[in-house]
Amino acid sequence: MPSGRPSLVGLLGLFFLLLIIVWLGVNFVKDPQEFINVFFVGLTRGAVYALIALGYTLVYGILQLINFAHGDVFALSGLIASSVLLSVFGVTTDSGAGLVIVAIAVALIVAMVLASTLNVTIEFVGYRRLRHAPRLAALITAIGMSFIVQNIALAIYDVDYQSIPRLIPNSSVLTIGEVALQWNKLFVLALTIPVLLALTWMVRETRHGKAMRATSQDRDASAMMGIDVNRTISFTFALAGSLAGAAGLLFLLYFTTMRYDTGFELGLIAFTAAVLGGIGNLTGAVLGGILIGLIQEFNEGLAWATPGGDWTRSIVFGILIAILVFRPSGLLGEQTPEGE
Amino acid sequence: MSTPETSTAVPVAAGDGDGAGGPILKVEGIHTYYGAIHAIKGVTLEVRKGEIVTLIGANGAGKSTTLRSINGLNRPREGRITFQGEDITNRPAHEVVAMGISQSPEGRRLFPRMSVLENLEMGAFQRTDRQNFGEDLDRVYDLFPRLAERKTQKAGTLSGGEQQMVAIGRALMARPKLLMLDEPSMGLAPIFVEKIFEIIVEINSQGTPILLVEQNALMALDVAKRGYVMETGQIAITDDADRLSENEQVKKAYLGIA
Repeated sequence: MPSGRPSLVGLLGLFFLLLIIVWLGVNFVKDPQEFINVFFVGLTRGAVYALIALGYTLVYGILQLINFAHGDVFALSGLIASSVLLSVFGVTTDSGAGLVIVAIAVALIVAMVLASTLNVTIEFVGYRRLRHAPRLAALITAIGMSFIVQNIALAIYDVDYQSIPRLIPNSSVLTIGEVALQWNKLFVLALTIPVLLALTWMVRETRHGKAMRATSQDRDASAMMGIDVNRTISFTFALAGSLAGAAGLLFLLYFTTMRYDTGFELGLIAFTAAVLGGIGNLTGAVLGGILIGLIQEFNEGLAWATPGGDWTRSIVFGILIAILVFRPSGLLGEQTPEGE
Repeated sequence: MSTPETSTAVPVAAGDGDGAGGPILKVEGIHTYYGAIHAIKGVTLEVRKGEIVTLIGANGAGKSTTLRSINGLNRPREGRITFQGEDITNRPAHEVVAMGISQSPEGRRLFPRMSVLENLEMGAFQRTDRQNFGEDLDRVYDLFPRLAERKTQKAGTLSGGEQQMVAIGRALMARPKLLMLDEPSMGLAPIFVEKIFEIIVEINSQGTPILLVEQNALMALDVAKRGYVMETGQIAITDDADRLSENEQVKKAYLGIA
């Protein structure tokens, strides 16, 4: 604090943080094994959130638009992936490892291609012409797109949950004492971390990535540099969509069940994660996703003085409001305004 | 086509003196709109090989919109723009750059969160001959030694003068066949203004024709070969630059000389 006198809000925030640390500490001391197990569950859930949050943040970074349809693209592609696994490959719990691997690989490709095509189409149809319109117009269109995609999923898959057999075993990879890391968690983490690294490298170093950054900072100047702005924005939506597709399949494999409206709440949670980390910031999206995943699992999994699952939504969206009010730039967001 | 009564158009014969040649850019009777506003009402101008042409006029006369019509950001509804004999009226901006027109925009418009070097790289975005990149970078650093010192610094943290250097350097990285500079002296300290105009002359002497938009009419007419005076979306006067400096109307309106 440069002013020397901390504000009341700052003090309150500090107090809350202290309270949370004490709460986590007590829980850890009471049952360290359970604590670490819950930590891994939260980390895995957070990784799924992170993948979806990355899509929000990529699109926001380039258009300053919240693509509310993103969560529904995620859900629809997950459902399509379930069809590929069940109807095309007919996998069951008894299927051989070879078939399962091929089926997952094909489902991943189908989900990613479908989701990126859908996302690019949404931008082309819904957002492109509104680029110079007031922000609210694009936002309303985004909400409309969300309902359309959700209802397409409803029309195809009806209201029932689509469930697949557990294909990634939840047997332990390694056990230390009574703490175990299972294959299905490792699978999710092993996919998310390289995706983040690859994405960060791409945005920082490649020609496409630099075009994306330039376009996000000044669209007209980018066009004057010879960057095809429309193509760059389409590329960004394709990238965000393919992440949503991958997240859809991962969610399905890990939680084994989803339906047409799974993307609505998950989308809002992932959006919260993106805002928490600092919207527009890739590392922030992952950090925010993992934090929200941890908060949710700690809240639902720890034993001592825990609010419990009924309060998860209130806590998560309370965080969203607190961040928007007290620190709109998020944990890692740029402090400097856009432009100069 | 607009040829108001005030015009004292005396076209300079092509090919006379210091390497000036045939037209490289021809703008013929364009009309451009900003939404419902009729911003450009029949502008005709041309830039010939090797020359500096300046477009002067008051704020809001339509100078920047003329440039936006040329570079494809704001397409004219009527009229024709040709570059090296090719019609570019309806070309998208990135293709216009690829054909060889690059620009340093008004207000510099750098990418503030990119380094100086990355900004310069973006200038070369359309270039396919990557092997010459280093050579061009050296050329920009030769013109602006300050930029070599600051290449890793974020462009948004530079001073106004330094930002203008990056903006011009960035436009040069495209190896333009025509360079458009929009208000390069705006907001700069007098010492920087002098420096920027010296650089403009130097770039031109290396063979690049320049279309210079300026509010600093005195300096602009000093370095230019020919000039166009814009008023409310039209070309009011066009003449040799030295004759424009002597023109009574121009003196009164733009040079602050009674």
